[in-house]
Amino acid sequence: MSEKIYGLLLRLYPARFRQAHGEEALQLYRDRSRDERGLVPRLRLWLDLVADLAVSLPREYRRTGPTLVSASAQPGLNGLPGFRLLEEQPPRTGALLSAVFLALAGLAAASVLINYGGSHPNSHLWQAKPRAQQPDRSAATGSPSSSPAERSSVSAQTASAPPANSMSGLDSQDGVSASVPPSQSKATGQQRAQTPAAKAAQANPQAATVAVEGTPMDAAQRHKVINGAVANLRQYYDYPEIGQRVANALLAYEGRGDDNDATDADTFAVLLNQQMLDVSHDGQLRIRYHVGGIPSPPAGPSIEELARYRAELEENNCFFSKVQMLPHNIGYLKLDSFADPAICGATAAKAMASLNHADAIIFDLRDNTGGYPKMVALMAGYLFEKPTHLNDMYDRNDNSTTESWTPAPVKGNRLADKPAYVLTSSTTFSGAEEFSYDLKMLKRATIVGEPTSGRGHIPIGRRIDDHFEILVPDRRPVNPISKTNWDGPGVQPDVRVKAAEALETALKLARAKSPQH
Amino acid sequence: MPKRKLDPLPIAAFHILLSLADEDRHGYGIMRQVADQTGGAMRLGPGTLYSSIQSLVEEKLIEEVGSREDAKLGEERRRYYRLTGAGRKLAGSEADRLAGLLRLARAKNILRGDYV
Repeated sequence: MSEKIYGLLLRLYPARFRQAHGEEALQLYRDRSRDERGLVPRLRLWLDLVADLAVSLPREYRRTGPTLVSASAQPGLNGLPGFRLLEEQPPRTGALLSAVFLALAGLAAASVLINYGGSHPNSHLWQAKPRAQQPDRSAATGSPSSSPAERSSVSAQTASAPPANSMSGLDSQDGVSASVPPSQSKATGQQRAQTPAAKAAQANPQAATVAVEGTPMDAAQRHKVINGAVANLRQYYDYPEIGQRVANALLAYEGRGDDNDATDADTFAVLLNQQMLDVSHDGQLRIRYHVGGIPSPPAGPSIEELARYRAELEENNCFFSKVQMLPHNIGYLKLDSFADPAICGATAAKAMASLNHADAIIFDLRDNTGGYPKMVALMAGYLFEKPTHLNDMYDRNDNSTTESWTPAPVKGNRLADKPAYVLTSSTTFSGAEEFSYDLKMLKRATIVGEPTSGRGHIPIGRRIDDHFEILVPDRRPVNPISKTNWDGPGVQPDVRVKAAEALETALKLARAKSPQH
Repeated sequence: MPKRKLDPLPIAAFHILLSLADEDRHGYGIMRQVADQTGGAMRLGPGTLYSSIQSLVEEKLIEEVGSREDAKLGEERRRYYRLTGAGRKLAGSEADRLAGLLRLARAKNILRGDYV
């Protein structure tokens, strides 16, 4: 349980930090709580963590500046399925401070109560299994005295976690970092990784059982959820064969009795996610349990949210963070998101016009968090002399395919025959991956850097019952040349170097080709 | 160019560099080594530790050397870190700087004894 609390506290850190080190931080917590047992060491551990949080959290935000929060582009906003849009926006200071304060208050109370409850002889009466069976997880055993306090810290956390309230209107189904439970955030950050909770559940199913936390689940209730998941998988998953395999696996696990130890809803959800991941290897496919019921889907962005989005775009120059001519007449464009062309078309045109006389052009997408397919097509259009078929989007719902083409070339554009380079990193995401993949398949650009994050298809939340929801990707890009996409391993660079060295490498390549060379 | 984040070198970062001087370690190994070499005075929390590691990696003072299991700590894979040449050099010059300070303190009769 206390690992869960720490997992929640970790969500206070900027997304960049969590992606890079969230799992390691949790691992470190587990190591320490395994090695430092007993009341005093455990209290000291939590004091250390609280002090660490107070010191490192503000520094991490100062250091990384804006954090990544996420929202999906509203599908159907422009008639096309939207890519997930991750946006740079720091949490408000007030929200951050109140989150820290509430979390610390809850945490202090919880840690004392956990330790007291865990070592109090009477607490044994309340535990589902005797403590002696899991000596390693004294902090994980819940007791009635600790539960309310833990809950309060959890709900305080959720209520005030800074990213949760941003761009919720544009978040049609799925927030990556904002609304994924901590046990799953790793699966989002790195698809193939096992979730820590799932590992714990596998390694020690009894301990998971004893974590008396969520709503109890009996076999009949589990069966209903499994049936709901199976039906959705069969009907909607955008790789029908895999959907079928995952569905069969869930039923087989249930039939074998593998689910019998998952007697509370949270544990059950974690277990199902692990079972699905084992078969699908798709971190986007998952089940969520909402204690307070599935929130009703947002009606779409409100006018205020759209206004704020627009203001932010203007403030950020539509995420064209660097547009410059480098020595040897090489054009360099650092684009951190593919924003709505309806708002940012003019900014894009201006940026590209300023690079029009370059002998080579570098698109730096290392920090690009995705965005609108139409902007992807608009930007790619500068590299072609005629409208070019970039990508198709297959939608299993109506078995339809939407084609994406570059627009008619801009008058006076001189970049169509110039060498192009795309810089990628392991965090290059979604729409930015499409841009890289499309150009790679068309052999129109050299991809330099690291394999991208590997997010091709787009999950949508579907209701199983009032509390269980399954996120099933039902749309996926299909490249007209490769007939597949970059899901999973990501877009593979043509020239593989560390992201930090990508620009230098691309400049070398561009200079080697330069007419002035 | 972004300004260097580790100038001056924070004490936590210096300790991390020192902890990696003799062998590659994972995060928890670094934390324990730092605790050891400071007589338990400095227990790096996860936030401080990984924030410092991140800065050090960015400045190429340490580097990741892949993930593997630590037999002593179970089957989980852990990311290991290694001191780079630049990191060793920086730790050395930081040590020189501190030694200079100590000599000065001793010359001013603030610090007594024969160390350094």
